Amino acid sequence: MSAPRKIPLSMTVNGALREALVEPRTSLLTFLREHCALPGAKRGCEEGECGACVVLLEGQPVTTCLIFAVEAEGHKLTTIEGLGQPAHLAPIQQAFLETAASQCGFCIPGMLLSAHALLKAESQPDEARIRQALSGNLCRCTGYDRIVKAVKLAADLQYGHR
Amino acid sequence: MQNFSYHAPATLGEACALMAEAPDRSRFLAGGSDLHLALEHHAGPVDTVIDLKRIAGLEGIEETPGGGWRIGALTRMAALERHQGLRAALPALCAAAAVVGGPPIRNRATLGGNLCNASPAADTATPLLAFGAQVEVSGGGVPGSNASRTLALEALWAGPRSTTLRPEEVLTAVVIPPPPTGGGANESTANESTAHGNAFARLTRSAMDIALVNAAASLTLDGSGRLASLTVALGAVGATVLSVPGTDALLGRPVDEALLEDIGKMAETAAQPITDVRASAEYRREMAGVMAMRAVGWAAAPAKGDTP
Repeated sequence: MSAPRKIPLSMTVNGALREALVEPRTSLLTFLREHCALPGAKRGCEEGECGACVVLLEGQPVTTCLIFAVEAEGHKLTTIEGLGQPAHLAPIQQAFLETAASQCGFCIPGMLLSAHALLKAESQPDEARIRQALSGNLCRCTGYDRIVKAVKLAADLQYGHR
Repeated sequence: MQNFSYHAPATLGEACALMAEAPDRSRFLAGGSDLHLALEHHAGPVDTVIDLKRIAGLEGIEETPGGGWRIGALTRMAALERHQGLRAALPALCAAAAVVGGPPIRNRATLGGNLCNASPAADTATPLLAFGAQVEVSGGGVPGSNASRTLALEALWAGPRSTTLRPEEVLTAVVIPPPPTGGGANESTANESTAHGNAFARLTRSAMDIALVNAAASLTLDGSGRLASLTVALGAVGATVLSVPGTDALLGRPVDEALLEDIGKMAETAAQPITDVRASAEYRREMAGVMAMRAVGWAAAPAKGDTP
């Protein structure tokens, strides 16, 4: 058995090509935070329960603590750093701001990305659907009511319901 | 996290050959939601991880002639959950897929992984057992192995977290037969008026938790609303997911309170639960009856034309 080799890796993160030489055991979360210097995805439970590490892989929310970076070879990812900029917030970010839906903020990158993916697929999710779509993202401040309100507001902003 | 070498072969043959080199210290990787935690906590030393996701043809949902289904092993829970045709025909399976972890997990976790992880609480296993599903397995042409074979789903599991597969074998697809006609001697006329239904029931303490007990039912009602076929399966109440035996004795009866009471008793008898951190054996046994009653009642509701 030869010693495990580092593997050359390339993927597109927030529209930019990222390349690195990584050990196979490197998680996608570690790759993003340490190799790409994108700390928006948070290191929470590291068991796929809390959703703090969620990013979009090919547009779908995934827990990056349970994915090896090498599994994402050739894929397109969006992290919270790629969703909007302070001067040009995405509708979901604007809505969280207006609703004051963020408390400590630790869960918010994952919340925003899960909500963003929901609103890309559905224009008018009801409360039950929103809660279901965010059921993989835990808020330790338990601020769920404002988060749900924010997602409804974001749907209005994004699809011009108001 | 222990260190290992990673391979992502393009063919099943390569994947199986790699596994055959050192089966004791190698693992197949599908969606990874179970394997990552296993490598971190309880898998023992692993030198080689063989990713199956670059192999073409292992993913997808297709209806087969006669109303059966063939589902590739690497099909994600999220794909099962959303598939319109599957939701209409096999709501029990879609409901089960929709409660595995949270949405981000379901975007990665695969059907084959859920089955091969061999947890007695695997949610998708229970409806598949009620459907009488089979699994297709391939040794990838590795010398001395089976080429490809089909086995009944219940023959896949040896016990908790243990399958009967040879180390180099990969589960490639799940095959669900068409629903039974239940027509007996006069099948052609029975066919016109029979109705099928299936449902999944699950008991947990919270949304993301593993099932304390789950149950699935698949049934056929004849034109007068009497049972023409019935299968019931239970999860998390035995070493593997298990079928409730003896349900044929109920055929010919309408799905009413008395029938559901009998189903509940049969499920309690069939259950072989243990006490663990989630629930006591006594509680699980009683709840196996309740979940079985719910699954049968829900399965019969749309078949009878009621709104579930």
